[in-house]
Amino acid sequence: MPDNWSFVFAAYALAALVLGAYWRRLGRRERELTSKGASTAPSETSPRKDCAGKAGARTGGASRP
Amino acid sequence: MIYARRAWIVLWKDLLSERRSKETLNALFFFSLLLLFLFQFTLGADRERLVAALPGLLWLGFILSGLVGLGRAFLAERENDCWEGLLLAPGDKSAIYLGKVAGNLLLMLLVEAILLVLFAVFFNLDLAAHLLPLAPVIGLGTIGFAAVGTLFGAMTAHVRARELLFPVLLLPVQVPVLLGAVKATEAVLLGEPLAAVGHWLGLLAAADVIYLTVGVLTFDAVLEA
Amino acid sequence: MSGLQRGLGWLAVASLTAGIVMALGVAPREATQGNVQRIMYVHVPAILIAYLAFAVVLVASVIYLWRRAAGADRLAHASAEVGVVFTGINIATGSIWGKPTWGTWWTWDARLTSASIMFVIYLGYLLLRAMIEDRERGARFAAVLGIVAALDIPLVHFSVYWWRTLHQPSTLLRPGPAPMDPTFVVALTINLVAFALLYAYFLARRVRLLEREEQVLA
Repeated sequence: MPDNWSFVFAAYALAALVLGAYWRRLGRRERELTSKGASTAPSETSPRKDCAGKAGARTGGASRP
Repeated sequence: MIYARRAWIVLWKDLLSERRSKETLNALFFFSLLLLFLFQFTLGADRERLVAALPGLLWLGFILSGLVGLGRAFLAERENDCWEGLLLAPGDKSAIYLGKVAGNLLLMLLVEAILLVLFAVFFNLDLAAHLLPLAPVIGLGTIGFAAVGTLFGAMTAHVRARELLFPVLLLPVQVPVLLGAVKATEAVLLGEPLAAVGHWLGLLAAADVIYLTVGVLTFDAVLEA
Repeated sequence: MSGLQRGLGWLAVASLTAGIVMALGVAPREATQGNVQRIMYVHVPAILIAYLAFAVVLVASVIYLWRRAAGADRLAHASAEVGVVFTGINIATGSIWGKPTWGTWWTWDARLTSASIMFVIYLGYLLLRAMIEDRERGARFAAVLGIVAALDIPLVHFSVYWWRTLHQPSTLLRPGPAPMDPTFVVALTINLVAFALLYAYFLARRVRLLEREEQVLA
């Protein structure tokens, strides 16, 4: 039976990649939450405000030119 | 006793409204007919191939029509604002679950009978000889499917993408039932005695008991609000 | 709180390093399969810890339905997510292992099949959670699904096993280690501990993240 080290390394690399990606995803979401928590802490209805803000930005952008 | 009566009332209500509108049944009959056409067109006119794939095709037909039928199980309550009615029903809510399961079971068995007849006629098969050993296999498989389908149907009734989520949740959970039912059907159609597939029937029965128990115990939490 | 979490993380990294050294360096070359068998040291711990994760989902779901404790719901959610990641690693490494030993990336081998069914079931679980806006309702439904899914695992296991093995002897196709040298066992145990620590670390972090998400959204 040949040794197939390449397959072994591929398997370990893939496992490391998946775990690393999950780790980074957790980190990114934590950072997102920190910035979001800081910016929306004073206002209470953050999702609604977000929507309104987006809609306003869109119409504003459309009317400008 | 009162418990059984409550389940019966839910079942009776569904049967009555179905008998008056015939909405679901008519659509499902038409749907099964279309499935037969689909199988014929995709597999070609080669009868040998059809017969070889028959157990799988049969259960594919049962499952697809079951998905369409069970997905609608709680739609009447949802659309007609009768959910509160279910909530206000006195006593143990699991009686509602059992009544709904019985209704879905009847509906599915009816559609399955239609599909069997259609298969026999259109593909020129002699299914009548196998009907007796086939009955417990189909019965056990369908109970498991209806038990989980009813539970998940009540859950997904509240979700936006219900048509998508219902099969996505139900199908993977139903893999054991599907495997057991197809394998047992295959053996029965080959003329083997039921004893030869005893382990599959045991698995199906175990699945039915587990699903029904979980459904009875957790339905209260599903129905809430 | 965060210090404990960080400590857990470093502990996991340290034991993972030890595990890799054991798996790739110290453990002997397996006789029949050669070095490719070393994939086992990630493949097997991943699925064992995934089973543990789904068992945690079951227990937390039952507790949630019984006591309606939000903490149990967060635990179930986090554990399911980490379990899905570990199941994914198991399937991917199994596929890579299958290519040189069976000559194909995928075969409907009993264990690969039941692992992939489990993967799909819990992906559905996460999908359900993502699709329901009402937090409390989502928690209830997910708990019901978590219970059904966990009780389904033994059924899946038996059915897939019979489905495959009643037609062909699976011992020929099974990649498991035949004679266990003590070094194999030690290497496997170290990797198992490493994966358990990694699971605990991810779980703690994910639970904390869910807690903070709820605080921000509330």
